[in-house]
Order: sequence, then structure tokens, then C-alpha cells
Amino acid sequence: MIRLENVTKVYKGDVTALRGVNLEIQRGEFVFLVGQSGSGKSTFIRLLNREEVADSGKILLAGKDLGSLRSWSVPALRRNIGCIFQDYKLLEKKTVQENIAFALEVIGQPRPLIRKNVPAILDLVGLSQKADRFPDELSGGEQQRVSIARAFANRPTVMLADEPTGNLDPSTSVGIMKLLDLINRRGTTVVMATHDRSIVNSMQRRVIELDRGVVIRDDTHGIYDEPNGVYE
Amino acid sequence: MYRIWYYFREAFASIWRNLSLTLAAIFTVAISLALVGSSLLVREGAERATAQFQEGVEFIVFMNADATVEQDDAIRDVLENSPAINDYAYVNQEQAYEEFSTLFSDKPDLVNSVSPAVMPPSYRIVPTDPSAANVTELARQFANQPGVKEVATATEAIRQIDDFSTRVSQALLIAAVVLVVVSALLILNTVFTAIGARRQEIEVMKLVGATNWFIRIPFMVEGTIHGLIGAALAIPALFVVDNKVLAFFQESDAVPLFRGFAVPDGFVWDTSIWLLLIGGAVGMIGSAIAVTRYLDV
Repeated sequence: MIRLENVTKVYKGDVTALRGVNLEIQRGEFVFLVGQSGSGKSTFIRLLNREEVADSGKILLAGKDLGSLRSWSVPALRRNIGCIFQDYKLLEKKTVQENIAFALEVIGQPRPLIRKNVPAILDLVGLSQKADRFPDELSGGEQQRVSIARAFANRPTVMLADEPTGNLDPSTSVGIMKLLDLINRRGTTVVMATHDRSIVNSMQRRVIELDRGVVIRDDTHGIYDEPNGVYE
Repeated sequence: MYRIWYYFREAFASIWRNLSLTLAAIFTVAISLALVGSSLLVREGAERATAQFQEGVEFIVFMNADATVEQDDAIRDVLENSPAINDYAYVNQEQAYEEFSTLFSDKPDLVNSVSPAVMPPSYRIVPTDPSAANVTELARQFANQPGVKEVATATEAIRQIDDFSTRVSQALLIAAVVLVVVSALLILNTVFTAIGARRQEIEVMKLVGATNWFIRIPFMVEGTIHGLIGAALAIPALFVVDNKVLAFFQESDAVPLFRGFAVPDGFVWDTSIWLLLIGGAVGMIGSAIAVTRYLDV
């Protein structure tokens, strides 16, 4: 599904975000990316979404080589990828259902299909009752659910999440993780960058740890802290 | 089909959101295109006014409408016998009226305002020696003959009209070109502001995989609408120029050739179509620059 071969990304001013990263993520996996701020987690996500292009090495996603992808092919790639963020990126002037419909409208889905899809996806994320609310009338957890609904509306094969629980309290975060787990069980590969120790530890999924742009750990059923006995 | 509706809906929503800047852009387009159009009208009017000077005709002797037969014969006698005259043609009142009505066949008001009785009969004269000095001397001699209302020499009359029309149309054109550039910049700026107002939406659109053209087109439609509305406002101004300004010259007696200073309605309509094309193009180019420079898609 996703393969990185010797990927390096350097920002202006010689800041190395990723250095020689090699890894493979299978279809249907749930992967946590952990590491301190500046370790390269967000760059990793941005490379997969092709918001950034690697300086060297190769990234393959769903059979496409992102390095040689022409700019006009990027939209087709993005339709296959759902993205969620710490700050939700919802449109404040649109209601919950308009936010979701907008995402489908701008990729050219026909209206009858949108009218059918939006209620179904709202039901999935448990917000059917709040379809006509505006984002600022919702709690943080509810806003993140809307953003997940929007990201999942087009049934992407990959879901990228950059600190999705970063602004949420622990109990709300659990709800969001249940939702991402549900989406993952429906076959979507999930890659989630996070700082949240308790979430990583409770999920017991694959954990990839980055440190200053280098993969220093890759455990199939990992926890947040390196299992070297110090923390246990 | 639905997509076209989307483009226009977004474009009009954006225009409404940004009304004051939009109006500034539209009015600037209107003023600049009105000047472009006026310049074209003046130029065309001048060309028509001087149309009588063709095929070697260097000067025209206009007789008084009430000149006597003797006065007329005296002139004709000179023309027939003088070695200085190569050829001449007599245009009587009926023919002058005929020519006038043909030239302005689509302006019945103008044609109705004159009658054969007020048209001066004239001799169109081809001299043996067409040099300016000779023509001026001949014209002076004819002008002193009894029954002659006026002598228009090609050199002088055409120079008068050309000078006048060139100066006016060039001044208009320079102002127009400056304003066209200003309006393109204003459209660019308006579209830039529209892009800024929709920054978040554009970010989401890119995120979920909207194509670049899908994002660009509403803004380009918006800019093109500015240009077209501006051009549409300039068209009535064009007819005002035609009916008031050019008509003012036709009615003035200062220079007899100004009587021919008019353009047919067909030409005004053709010019209007050109204004629409120019307006649409300016809007599209201005907005295209804005989307390529500021949209980053």
C-alpha cells in the first residue's frame, strides 16, 4: 500500500526533516507515528499527501510514485486519501452537512449521490442529530468527528491523521480513536501521528518511532515508550 | 451542466461578497472601453468625411445653393478651357443629396434633416499639377469668383480633419490604453481579494482532491464577468458619443466637410461587439494572472 525507499527531506536552512527512511505499510494496517516535536512526523504525513515532495528516495502509494507524479495527477491521488488534523480545518460558515457535502461537491460527485451519502456518513460518525449545526456550536470532539466524516466521505483507501486528538481531553480522544478503529476495520489504512501516550498504549498497534528524521523503532504491536525496561 | 452552474454560482457569490471593489473594477472597465470606442468612432468619422477626395480630386468648389446660371457657366468655362485643370466632375444638388443619403442610409434622422435644396452643388476638380502650392493658388482664384460659397482643398480640408481626428483619437486612445491596463490590474486585485476571502475553502478543496481547474475557473468567470459588465456599460456611452458629439460636428458650419462627420449605426454596433470582446479578454487575462500568481494550484 505505502512504501518508502531511502526517503530524505531537507527544508530550507538545512533542516533535515527525514533522513534515509525505509519502510512499508500494508493495506489495512493501523500505524502510529510517534516521536518528539520536530522528529519528522508531520513531514512524513505531508509527503504521503504530496503536500511536500521528497528530495531523494522514492515514495509509492497505491501503486503511484509520488516523486514523479505530475501536478495535475495530485487531485486524483488526494481523492484516495482522507486527511484529518489537530485543528479540524472545518469551514465556519457552513453547517455540518454542508461541510461534508462541499468536499464531495468539489470533486464532482453528482448531487443525488451527495444527498444519499451525507446522511449515511453522519450516521457513521454519530452526528445525525447535529447535521444543521455550525462548527462553532459543536464541541472539539464533535468537530473532529465532522472532519473525519468529511475525510471518509469519499471512501478513501488511506486515512492520514496528524495529531487528531491533540486538542481533545482523554475521554473524548477515546471516542475519536474508536471511530478511526471502525474506519480501519472497514479496510482503510490509517497512519496517525501522535504524542498521545495513553492512546498508543491502549490500541496495541504498529508503532514507528522517529527521532530527528530517522526511524529508530518499528514494533508490530508497540507501545509509546521504548520497551527497554526504563519506563516499565 | 451542474458544474457550469457551480462556477457561476461561486462567481456571483464572490462578486456579491466583494461588491465595492467589484464596482470599482467594472466602472474602470466601462470608462476605458468607452474611450476606446470613442476613439474608433472619431477615426471612422474622419475617414468618411474625407471620402469625397478620391481618384485625384484635389479640391472641391462648393457653389452657393442659389448661384445663378451665369455664375455657374463662368466657373464651368474656366474648368473646360484652363490648361491647369485636367478633369472635373459636377455634382448637382440632387446628386449631392443622393450621395449623402447613401453614405448615411442607416441614419434616416440625419438624412431627413437635409433636403436637395440645401445641399451645395459642387465641382470636384483634378488639377494638372497636384502640388500643394499649385492647388492652394487655384483654390484662392476660384474662391474669389462670384457664386462660389467655399473651396475645400484636399490638402487643407483633409489636413484639418486628419489633424483634428488624429489628435482626438490619439488622446482618447492613450487614455484608454492606460485605463485598460488599470482596469486589468483592478480586476486582478479584486480576484486576489476574492481568493483571500476563500483561502480556507481553497485549502479544503485542495485537500480533498478538487482539480486545479475546478478551483481556478470560478475566479476566472468572476473576472470575465467584470470585463463584460464594464463593456456592456460602455456601449450606451458609445451611442451618446455618436448621437451628441459627432452630431455636433455635423451641424457646425465651421468646416463644410464636418458635415460628413458621422458613422453608420452598423459601425457603432460592430464597435460595441469589439468592446465586449476586449472587456471579456481584459477580465479573463486579469483574473488568469491573479489565479496563477496567488492560487498556487
